Amino acid sequence: MQKNHIDIWLMVAVLGLMVISLGVVYSASAEWAYARYENQNHYIDLHAIKILLSIGALFAGLSIPYRVYKKLAKPALIIAIAFLAVTLLLGGETKGAVRWLHYGGLGFQPSEFAKFTLLFYLCALLTVKGETIRDLKKGFIPAMVWVGIVTLLVMLQPNFSTAAMIIILSIMILFVGGVRFSHLTATMGCLIPVLAGYILIAPYRLQRMKLFMQSRTNGRANYQLWQGMIGFGNGGIFGVGPGESRQRDLFLPESYNDFVYSIIGEEYGFIGAVFILAVFLFIMIRGYKIAKNAKDDFGRYLAIAITGTITLYAVVNACVALGIFPTTGLPMPFISYGGSALLMTAFGAGVLLNISAYTDMHPRIVKAGTAMEPPPSAELGKAY
Amino acid sequence: MTEKEENYNGGTEGNRQRWRKRFFFVKLVFFAFFAVITAKLIQYQILESEKFQALARKQYEQKFILPATRGNIYDRNGNVLVSNTILVSFAADPKIIGDNADAVAEAFGRILGKSKSAYLSKLNESQEKRFVWLERRVSPDVAQRIEAAKLAGVVAINEPERLYHYDELASALIGFTDIDNSGIAGLEYEYNDEMKGADGSVMMQRDGIGRVHPSADYPRREPVNGNALVLAMDLTYQSIVDEELKRGVDANKADGGLAVMLNPKTGEILALSVYPNVNPNNVGKFNIALARDRVVTDVFEPGSVFKIVTASAAYENHIVTPDQPFNAEHGKMKIALNGKKFRIISDTHEYDRLTFQQAIELSSNIVCAKVGKLIGGEIFYREARDFGFGIISGIDLPGEVRGILRKPNEWSGTSLQTMAYGYEVGVTPLQIACAYAAVANKGVLMKPYAVAQVKNAAGTVVRENKPEPIRRILSQNTVDLLTQAFEGVVERGTGKEVRTQGVRIGGKTGTSRKWSEGKYLENNYTASFVGFFPLDDPQAVLLVMMDNPRTRGYYGGITSGPVFRAIAERVIATSYKYSPALAARTEQESTSRIVPDVRMLQPSVAEKMLTGCGLQCRTFGKGAIVARQMPEPGKKVEKGESIALVLNEEALPMKDGSIIVPDVLGMSVRRAMNRLVIDDFDVKLQGSGVVTGQTPAPGQNVSVGSNIVLVCAPRGLSLRAQKTASPAVN
Repeated sequence: MQKNHIDIWLMVAVLGLMVISLGVVYSASAEWAYARYENQNHYIDLHAIKILLSIGALFAGLSIPYRVYKKLAKPALIIAIAFLAVTLLLGGETKGAVRWLHYGGLGFQPSEFAKFTLLFYLCALLTVKGETIRDLKKGFIPAMVWVGIVTLLVMLQPNFSTAAMIIILSIMILFVGGVRFSHLTATMGCLIPVLAGYILIAPYRLQRMKLFMQSRTNGRANYQLWQGMIGFGNGGIFGVGPGESRQRDLFLPESYNDFVYSIIGEEYGFIGAVFILAVFLFIMIRGYKIAKNAKDDFGRYLAIAITGTITLYAVVNACVALGIFPTTGLPMPFISYGGSALLMTAFGAGVLLNISAYTDMHPRIVKAGTAMEPPPSAELGKAY
Repeated sequence: MTEKEENYNGGTEGNRQRWRKRFFFVKLVFFAFFAVITAKLIQYQILESEKFQALARKQYEQKFILPATRGNIYDRNGNVLVSNTILVSFAADPKIIGDNADAVAEAFGRILGKSKSAYLSKLNESQEKRFVWLERRVSPDVAQRIEAAKLAGVVAINEPERLYHYDELASALIGFTDIDNSGIAGLEYEYNDEMKGADGSVMMQRDGIGRVHPSADYPRREPVNGNALVLAMDLTYQSIVDEELKRGVDANKADGGLAVMLNPKTGEILALSVYPNVNPNNVGKFNIALARDRVVTDVFEPGSVFKIVTASAAYENHIVTPDQPFNAEHGKMKIALNGKKFRIISDTHEYDRLTFQQAIELSSNIVCAKVGKLIGGEIFYREARDFGFGIISGIDLPGEVRGILRKPNEWSGTSLQTMAYGYEVGVTPLQIACAYAAVANKGVLMKPYAVAQVKNAAGTVVRENKPEPIRRILSQNTVDLLTQAFEGVVERGTGKEVRTQGVRIGGKTGTSRKWSEGKYLENNYTASFVGFFPLDDPQAVLLVMMDNPRTRGYYGGITSGPVFRAIAERVIATSYKYSPALAARTEQESTSRIVPDVRMLQPSVAEKMLTGCGLQCRTFGKGAIVARQMPEPGKKVEKGESIALVLNEEALPMKDGSIIVPDVLGMSVRRAMNRLVIDDFDVKLQGSGVVTGQTPAPGQNVSVGSNIVLVCAPRGLSLRAQKTASPAVN
């Protein structure tokens, strides 16, 4: 298949967000870093390293031809599931949940890796099965078994929000991939009692839900959410200025992570917040354009899955910060303080860029004698 | 099996259409999210932005009040009567203390010498609250020990506290403040706006966990300290009057009493006492009704002291002469009330005939009633009015009333006669005192005042009450005749108890039955004596009143008279201007002084107090407040003695309970002992004279209460010792 230029504007958007992230995370984390480690650079130093690693991951994704995942996805998913199982047995604990695998000084969240391998595998499955996916026994149930295993293991950590995202994204890709509507609705019908049981086992989830419902009526039951809203409101249209956020002065917990959007809203105002939103919208549009122009089904599904992941995390994070959704710990892609999610998302963006190279969106400019595979003249004529 | 067919027969075109539809749906969902987020951003950041900005400001900014210091109160000679001290209150945040409650309670119990359990229950019972008082109003030296314990979650709050140096003394005049340091009685109330000053403030920036730092966006507003009052009152006279009044009230088993002393030439209040009274340092313990300044707030029927109006009107209008004889009716006279009804006027003694002056001296109601009739209603009313009866005097004390003086057209048929001996009128004690002061001031009524000057913090006079004549009431001739009669009262009449050696006193007795609930009470009298001295050049007017005296009878002459005399004698002894001979005699006697309590005062104030009573002082260490003094308060010392004042920072042991040994080498044994005892050292002496050696050496850290051994030698030897000890000099 012919390889053209990558979608350079998509790359600019992603790298641009990462650069913005360095400034915003520094501003949002310095006070917390000082309060916890007496070193205001504690978080930003780590974050900078993670950004660098993520850029590496992005370029890795960009340079690997995406078709290899069609074969690699299944073994990778099995490894991911093994990781998840090991995590449950040996993992490090954060805030009552076992989400981390530590090796040496490094921590890693297998759930992020599992999420991507699962989505990649589903894309491969959709490509391979074609119309067979509409068959319950041959298509839908085999796919859902994998989704179920991964989701269950992530839920057991327990990491409800990531599990929910995995289900939503899986259903999204299966939906686009042509799975029967009746199968999906039946699945979702089954999920409701499971969800209810899950909430009832852990009282803190019920409490969180209650708090969220209360905050809808009296506006301030949830401290973090309330502080986030004050941040947005205080920013006004033009913001209080870079580095001038007051909410990060230990008022807003997780100000550099899950609530980073609130700090953006405070420092850069409505204009800044809308700008970030517009960048994500741009990424979505570019991503879906890549999907539309992808040369094969696998590329198309992959582009949809990756774009959907980025966009979904972005809008859910913004909705949480604005109090539209109950508080969950989901990062804003490329902006929030880095971790496994940043690394995986950056890699995903790289894969997306790699897919873009196999579309006709940005045809290669042919220099005489250098082109290995000269493009058809009709195509050239269309572009220029 | 239509579905299956659809599955396999759905051509590529149907497949693509389905894909497009579903993809479009996914995109639509995402677009909806973007729209909702944008709408929320518009709501929070544009529409409701102001509301959130206000909320934000509220949580970032905290205004701290810098309290202004309330103005001091001084007597006319600059003695400090009222100043301020800072007490420290401790509050805790039980949430922060958490599991440390036991340690905190233990520390408080140990330092304050109370049981630990009380503090523990305070901390435990209000776990939900973020604020609980642990101990209010702790003195600064104890407070420093608590602060030194560095207890997390415990905050110290400075609370300014009014310090009344002489407790009850002049409490009716000075008044007191409430818990918020706002004046609620006496001069504290009347001059509250002058004394309170203006609090300053500083805006602090706050972060999420409550740490604060000053805000650069707002200027710091410095507090403006309140103005000080310099009273017309004389501390010496006041303490004499307080003391003698109390003694008199107790001796007569009276319900109470009051006394007011004026300078007749100026109208200055030299002393004002009401007994029983309250201690303004501890108002809560007393019945607040006692705090009323009854000298201006209470109205009574004056009785015979009101005969000043009768005599003045008669002399001033040449209606009678002093020698004019009157039939005294053997002590009983009927006067017609209205046709059939009669009223009987009686005198305490039965007299046949009395001259008018004798009638004043012996206080004959009958003769005065007759003279009243001669004077006539209009003139009598005008005279009473001119003396200031029925009118507010305008004194700078709160709650003054005007009394009751009815107009002639409101009188009954006998009103003129009864008013002539002091019934059917209502007067305040101050009005009586002012009326006699007018006589003492050659017939000119002066406006009374309590505060001489208002000074700002820098000591500049910002306001001044100057002597203010209201009107001339009497001619010199009338003044002379009245003075002659008032002296007669003391020399020959009802006021013989007042007569004293070495000074001429003039005055008038008064005894009136108390009126309550529509009738005169049996055996319940108000007994008073009002007079002035020395007669040649009156310096003081004094009114003493007893409320329901019971042991020695109820007449003003024998109850209030001795109190008047006792006060007059002691006042005269204080100054040459009353009686040079007497004053000289008493001056020699007192060379000893009682050490006043200057603890917890500012050093400058303490010094002023000490020098004011003829003592000297020297201070040790640095600090804002005197923590300890040597000798202790209440000790008798010789005039000119030096009092050691230890300021708070120096006096306290260091955090670990150790203290630095001061350098006493070369000091006399007595000075060295004084110095070391201040810091609670246990001193052992070897030898006598001058300190030549000390162990442990100066500057060493030892624990509080340690032994210090002083090696001493006679002065000559010590000089040698010092020389040999420092060969390096040569």
